[in-house]
Amino acid sequence: MRELTFIEAAREALAEEMAKEPTIFVVGEGIGERGGNFNTTTGLYDLYGPKRLRDTPICERGFVGLCTGAAMAGARPVVDFMFIDFIMDAFGEMVNQIAKMQYMSSGRLKMPIVLRGCFGIGGAAATHHSGNYAPVFAHLPGFRVVLPSNPYDAKGLFKTALQGNDPVLFLEHKLLLNSRGKVPEEDYTIPFGQAAVPREGADLTVVAIARMVPLALNASEQLASEGLSVEVIDPRTVAPLDINTILESVHKTGRLLIVDETFGPCGIGAEISAQVQDLAFDDLDAPIRRLNGVHTPTPYSATLETAAVPQPETITQAIRNLMAT
Amino acid sequence: MPIEIVMPRLGWTMEEGTLVEWIKQDGDPVETGDIVFTVETDKALNDIESLDSGILHIPNSVPQPGDTVPVGTFLAYLLQPGEEPLPAPTQPKALAATPTAPTTPKAVESPSKKRGPTISPRALRIATELGVNWQTLKGSGSTGRIVERDIRAAAGTSTTTRTRRTIAQRLLESTQQTAAVTLHVETDATELVSLRARLKTSLKDRAPTYNDMFLRLTALALKDHPALNASWQNDQSVQHPHIHLGIAVDTKAGLLVPVLQNADQKGLQQMAIESAELAKKARAGTLTTAHLQGGTFTLTNLGMYGVDTFTPLLNLPQCAILGIGRIVQKPSVYENQIVPRHKVALSLTFDHRVVDGGPAARFLNTIREFVEQPDLWLTR
Repeated sequence: MRELTFIEAAREALAEEMAKEPTIFVVGEGIGERGGNFNTTTGLYDLYGPKRLRDTPICERGFVGLCTGAAMAGARPVVDFMFIDFIMDAFGEMVNQIAKMQYMSSGRLKMPIVLRGCFGIGGAAATHHSGNYAPVFAHLPGFRVVLPSNPYDAKGLFKTALQGNDPVLFLEHKLLLNSRGKVPEEDYTIPFGQAAVPREGADLTVVAIARMVPLALNASEQLASEGLSVEVIDPRTVAPLDINTILESVHKTGRLLIVDETFGPCGIGAEISAQVQDLAFDDLDAPIRRLNGVHTPTPYSATLETAAVPQPETITQAIRNLMAT
Repeated sequence: MPIEIVMPRLGWTMEEGTLVEWIKQDGDPVETGDIVFTVETDKALNDIESLDSGILHIPNSVPQPGDTVPVGTFLAYLLQPGEEPLPAPTQPKALAATPTAPTTPKAVESPSKKRGPTISPRALRIATELGVNWQTLKGSGSTGRIVERDIRAAAGTSTTTRTRRTIAQRLLESTQQTAAVTLHVETDATELVSLRARLKTSLKDRAPTYNDMFLRLTALALKDHPALNASWQNDQSVQHPHIHLGIAVDTKAGLLVPVLQNADQKGLQQMAIESAELAKKARAGTLTTAHLQGGTFTLTNLGMYGVDTFTPLLNLPQCAILGIGRIVQKPSVYENQIVPRHKVALSLTFDHRVVDGGPAARFLNTIREFVEQPDLWLTR
């Protein structure tokens, strides 16, 4: 099967859906003729021109507000934030309008808007370009929060986002953008709220988010040579969250580690942990553990940056520690 | 409508109050602004004024002076002229019956003395399912907590060990992913047996075992036949620059294969010391990952169990494994006479994807020569 990069797979999803659905348009900084800072729209401007690939000035609240109105009026906007850190400048529009509009209109208005961009820590991008805000959006009713970990999932989940009628945060980890993986030629979608189990195991469950999935898989591979059988779960979307797949796994293993680069307090791991202890208390053989990014603005120094996020060694150690608990 | 008089909330944080005394009595007329009763909170004693007027009716079943009750608890009615007294509405029990937790947790005082052993929820569930009395068990969790493995061990239904699962997975992969062929040869080990006898006489318990001798001669044979010291990796054959020999060790936990590094660079005596150490660690369960990684060829010896020939399974990603059978006296044709000679059967399994039958047979032939004439390798 052919291999694509994460960004190529997502772009293919966008191109295929734009070809089918004329109301899809993209706004963002440099996404027109330039093809996007991360090549998210390369080649599409030539096909669809400035009407459907609209460059914007640096005014997040303005163009998000514009797209909110467009979605209410029946269009299907895609806001490409490039670095999604700056989505925070549009937070009011998002929380008070986008997330609530379907509710406020008793479902008469749809809100088919996709808010996409790269997030996460890596490449010494410094703190303003290293945001990890997925849990903030997952906290709010009304958003779908999608965190693909590989090219195959990126395409299938992006298609679901583009075909749906709900607001979607499509979050692309900057260190995954150039990762390669098998992507079939034929059309497919991946539904939201359906976790993947990229590695089966019997001793311990690791729930890993986004870029932590490949790291957790490497750690598990290494530990397999020591006779430790680790199951890795990739929730793929944290809102909705597929808790059942996690519960089934914990029923089998009795031990749960959540590896997530985003902040620990009130985060994704806290939510998973709370649900698991509530719904599967009698399956737990040890306390649930979390391994998170350090609760700090991201340092610019590459050395300190590395220390701020889970690494293969820290994951391996966390798994060993939990097995010994 | 009768007006209910309830325990009032006198501050933002007030959850409960103590009814101290009724200033007005049952049947007394009450005017707006009259003080009807007093309430003590954690902050102060408070006079409670009436917001309405009427006749005070205190049913029998309500909280008595001195009771501490939650905010909102019904205390009495104010009746309008002509209204019939009502029974008290049903309401939550007075708080006095369910004291809240003291602010200083008492559990901090040596909980271990008062409670039994701690047990994980999962272990408790499994103990119940299997009918195990866990109260007497010693837990293996890091804080002494009883965990699933302790219950399984006590019940004698120990789950499949991790070692077992690893073996299962790797050997299945081996049979599914390789093109394995096994060659058998019986060879004359009489010289080897007499060498071993001489070494035993001179070195006593420091004498190398047959296994050590096979390790040494195999390492040297691999030097002459590097095609067998190879792996299949990423769709191509890779010959290894070093010779690291895996040694199959039978342990209680199952088969383990510790690795003797740079085996071709070690003398027989050194090899004997290191292989004994590895086998000891394997049986004690103290091997680390480093001990188990990096093998390029494996030896497996079933001679001590009286086995002649067998078909060893490849230890992936290595391309070959040598099986050694028992050394046994047999009637043999030797220098045109039928005489008793020591014989040993050797079984070489190789991965035909990596190496062909010719090179594999030539390697096995070198091993055969080395067994028959130990001088060939003792002098190297």
